Amino acid sequence: MTGRIRASWRSVALMGPAAAVLGFLFLLPLVWFLVVSFYRVQLFQMIPDASLANYTKVLADYAGPIAFTAAIAAAIAAITTVLAFVVAHMIWARGGAFGAFLLGATLLTLFGGYLVKIYAWRTILGREGVINSTLVGLGLVKQPIDALLYSPTAVVLVLVSYLLPFAILPLYGALRAVDPVSIEAARDLGATPAGVLRDAVLPLCVPALATSFALCFLLTAGDFVTPRLVGGTQTFMMGNFIESQFGLRMNVPLGAAMTFTTLVTSVCVIGAAWAGLRHFLRAK
Amino acid sequence: MRKILSTAFGLAIVAFMLAPLALVVLFSFGKSALMTFPMTGLTLDWYRALLSRDDFAGALANSLIITGTVGLVATAIGTLAAMFIARLRPARSATAIFLFGLPMMMPPLVLALAILSLFAMVGVKLSLVTVILAHLTFTMPFVILIVSARLRDFNPAMVDSARDLGAGPWTVFRTVTFPIIRPTLFGAALIAMSLSLDDFVITFFLIGGGNTLPTLVWGMLRTGIDPSINALGTLIVTFTVGAAALALWLTRQRA
Repeated sequence: MTGRIRASWRSVALMGPAAAVLGFLFLLPLVWFLVVSFYRVQLFQMIPDASLANYTKVLADYAGPIAFTAAIAAAIAAITTVLAFVVAHMIWARGGAFGAFLLGATLLTLFGGYLVKIYAWRTILGREGVINSTLVGLGLVKQPIDALLYSPTAVVLVLVSYLLPFAILPLYGALRAVDPVSIEAARDLGATPAGVLRDAVLPLCVPALATSFALCFLLTAGDFVTPRLVGGTQTFMMGNFIESQFGLRMNVPLGAAMTFTTLVTSVCVIGAAWAGLRHFLRAK
Repeated sequence: MRKILSTAFGLAIVAFMLAPLALVVLFSFGKSALMTFPMTGLTLDWYRALLSRDDFAGALANSLIITGTVGLVATAIGTLAAMFIARLRPARSATAIFLFGLPMMMPPLVLALAILSLFAMVGVKLSLVTVILAHLTFTMPFVILIVSARLRDFNPAMVDSARDLGAGPWTVFRTVTFPIIRPTLFGAALIAMSLSLDDFVITFFLIGGGNTLPTLVWGMLRTGIDPSINALGTLIVTFTVGAAALALWLTRQRA
């Protein structure tokens, strides 16, 4: 009996601090934020309420931006996941020095320089930037191309570059867990390399593909820095609208309702993507 | 032919991921104020300009305080949790890892605004402390992941034999477990520090007043073209990528 009590005290001592961080600094703030999304604002004061007015307003006024954000996030997540799978597969299948080099480059770019990377792209894509000055210098174009920067394409380019390492690592982890015996077996039974990939490898990677897609989608849907710095005036995403509710406009309940509407939309798209992956990549 | 194509593709992707960082570092030493090729010469002027700014020392000090505290606290708390999680049955430990990993999936903007509104309701004043608390949420999962992975492939017989020889739990930890996992702990702490140092979004909303290195970058971006921003970017990238590289080397020693 005392042994069990001591054991449970030990679990509390070990898990207590981490559980407190997760509970008080993650779950509780999110629950409170959800509660606030039903409040209303009067003369810049939050009034407790249980009204759906914020959500009605979000659906009426921001359906366009939400759809745009979901579309661009889905495009970015899909492109990143596909490219990342190709790279992860290369690291796994090629191995050796080249595989180690790819893995090392991925791990190093994973950490560090979120803001630095975004503003660097601004100088790469800008009117006086590296690409334009090189193109003009080589005489390939007469005038610098303005459309490189401040467009949805720039947002896609920058975020794919930023998110690639985040997507490569889970996919590489999944590939490493693939049993080489099953690959050998498929090969011995006469499967072509494409057949092995389709029938033996990809079905096992579905959870990792879904994780990569989800991570890229969520980070894009909640980003306000990239659209602000390289998106220009035509690329306002939900992150920008949400952020502005906490700056100039100061309407926290509306901002909270925007956040949860965006999150629910994201979860729906991610769920659909996962179901699609499971359907098309199932083992035959 | 296929192999050449695949190598070319791999190199292109690496260039695509690395180019922005490489250019910032390169142009931080470039003479011209414009980031264009060909470069006209090398200089350290932008670093001198950065050091002579009034707000640089404060931002550096804040970043060091936040990063150091987050590294220590996240590693301590995360390691305790990992010691518990590593001993759970596989299904339960997977659930625990998923639950503690949720903050990694949450966009930093959402995390920042939710914590901000809770702090506003409770009446907590924004300061470096609020930034540190918020940073714990997304750095701790990385520590838990790294340390519990290490603990799981560690020979439990060593702990059992120490215990059979009469060592208490604290003695076992101090004399057996800790020396073995020490490189992993340093690695995990460095990863947590690298994530904390690089964070812009959460810091931006929760610091109240003052700057860290990334929020100083943001401020400089709004004042127009200032090449010393490349020098500052290079500092951030050197710290974060350097810490991560060291961490990878430390945690790989065992393999």
